[in-house]
Amino acid sequence: MSNFKLTPAGDRVTLSLRGRLDAYSISAVWREASEALAGIDSARVVIDGTQIDYCDTSGAAMLLDLAQVARAAGAETEFANLPEQAQQLLGLFDPAKLVAQNQQAGRSLWFERIGLWGSRVGNEIVALLSFVGEAVAALVIALRHPARIRWGDAVRIAREAGVDALPIVSLISFLLGVILAFQAATAMRRFGAEIFVADLVGLAVLRELGPLMTAILLAGRSGAAFAAELGTMKVNEEIDALSTLGFDPVRFLAVPRILATVAVIPMLTVYANLIGLIGGAIVMMGFGISLASYYQELLGILDLSDLLTGLGKSLLFGVIVAGVGCLRGLQAGQGAAAVGRSATSAVVSAIVLIVAVDGLFAVIFYYAGI
Amino acid sequence: MTSPIIRVTNLTAGFADRIVLRDISFDVQRGEVFVIVGGSGSGKSTLLKQMIGLYRPQCGTICIEGEDIVAARGPKRLSILRKIGVSFQTGALFGSMSVLDNVRLPLEAHTDLPQQAIAMIARMKLQLVSLGDAADRMPAELSGGMRKRAAIARAMALDPLILFLDEPSAGLDPVLSAELDALLLNLSRMLHVTLVVVTHELDSIFTIADRVLMLDGATQTIAAEGPLLKLLAHANPQVRRFFAPNKEQM
Repeated sequence: MSNFKLTPAGDRVTLSLRGRLDAYSISAVWREASEALAGIDSARVVIDGTQIDYCDTSGAAMLLDLAQVARAAGAETEFANLPEQAQQLLGLFDPAKLVAQNQQAGRSLWFERIGLWGSRVGNEIVALLSFVGEAVAALVIALRHPARIRWGDAVRIAREAGVDALPIVSLISFLLGVILAFQAATAMRRFGAEIFVADLVGLAVLRELGPLMTAILLAGRSGAAFAAELGTMKVNEEIDALSTLGFDPVRFLAVPRILATVAVIPMLTVYANLIGLIGGAIVMMGFGISLASYYQELLGILDLSDLLTGLGKSLLFGVIVAGVGCLRGLQAGQGAAAVGRSATSAVVSAIVLIVAVDGLFAVIFYYAGI
Repeated sequence: MTSPIIRVTNLTAGFADRIVLRDISFDVQRGEVFVIVGGSGSGKSTLLKQMIGLYRPQCGTICIEGEDIVAARGPKRLSILRKIGVSFQTGALFGSMSVLDNVRLPLEAHTDLPQQAIAMIARMKLQLVSLGDAADRMPAELSGGMRKRAAIARAMALDPLILFLDEPSAGLDPVLSAELDALLLNLSRMLHVTLVVVTHELDSIFTIADRVLMLDGATQTIAAEGPLLKLLAHANPQVRRFFAPNKEQM
């Protein structure tokens, strides 16, 4: 352990330190000696190390800091009788620079922060526009030369994004249909209008909730997977390797993912619609509405445009999910944390864009009378 | 003669049914720079990871200041681990933290020092490895050499008695490699730290080694051990060829 003693003598104060000065033993001494030195009114402070048994860099840090505290209190400071190791260590550091760096740390001006935020947002927009341009160009080239598309990758990605997603899509869509029908039926029962629940479930699922929930599930599964996979490739310099081999990373990596996602999302949406309607049917049967009546009511209220508007939106949602996933992956920084950040960012950005686009479609369809 | 700071006795280690190190015994003396060398796959890194307690040996003991790191558990093991610092081959800096925060981390976890003091000590460690101006940068923004130096600063955070370094100069250019060797020698002399270095960089071995242990991958045993001059004139031609490959070919 270590301790200290403060001895005033005329206009001079001697701070005598004793024992081991290492990271484990100096905490109390550092705090108490700093407080004592901060309150002195002597012209001179001598930090005496005659009784120091051991001093490592943590001890040296304390010596430098105590000297700085005494100087700040207006006293001239000197070290005396320090062990050789402590003297050598103190000689290695620039105390003024250390103290200045420590005081500056963490300070940043508010306008500097706003500027940095603005710059980040600007860079983000430029990166997004640049990626959209590159992806559109790569897709056009790919569609003009289908043989150049990596169909093996596209099929694998379509299977992972589509077939492998069936269980979760089934569960969520079924529960969605059940919850929607149950909530609506409970309210409509008071008016004896349970049969119209079929209209609500049919329209809501086909036009809005089927495509929306499928896209959100796809963003959580496949969008995050694309970002993590491409992010890891970026960290491992595989993207750089592709570039040096003459491949365009967007065409090589993003195009198969966008095509695969756009191919599977309408099928998943149709499947989700069907499961949602089945969920609604089961609830309706519980309320005494026969399956035939439910079916007839659906046929009466739904037409092809309801299905097609949902599918049209789902195509755009597919582009958003795959595009944002690939963009975030290609934008990943260095290190394991960057991959995690890019996956999170891919999911959040995709969901925000999907909901915003869905809202936009709702307004357009309303004014277009669709 | 003082007792060795590390004593490895009859160490046998490996993976599943594959033996990598067979019945190995040696001592590391206090304050020396002890270099472990050997061909690729000879078990250098495995030996290092045994010595720092990451892997468990099949049999044998590894004593650090007289305490067996293999048998130690709980607080006793922690007290042994506080005596050592490790710099891994790739640096192994935490990518989500700044360089300064990487160095602060062990100080925050193992001491009750106030934040201001921790920051100052961490900055001193970074000044020691000439990274004072890179404190607020993220590891991803550092060059390979800077990452290695930052890893050494983190390993030195608690002023350990022994510093283990796995391939510290691998992948560095000769100038950076020489600078790193000078830094290691400086740390050893100024802070009286015992260095255990795994490397196969001949320039580094010639610059920093007080004693060398050479592993033989074929027999999984020690091929040679001792001061470098002794190994240069070793009876085993394989050992001589390792340290002077061009000379042996002529």
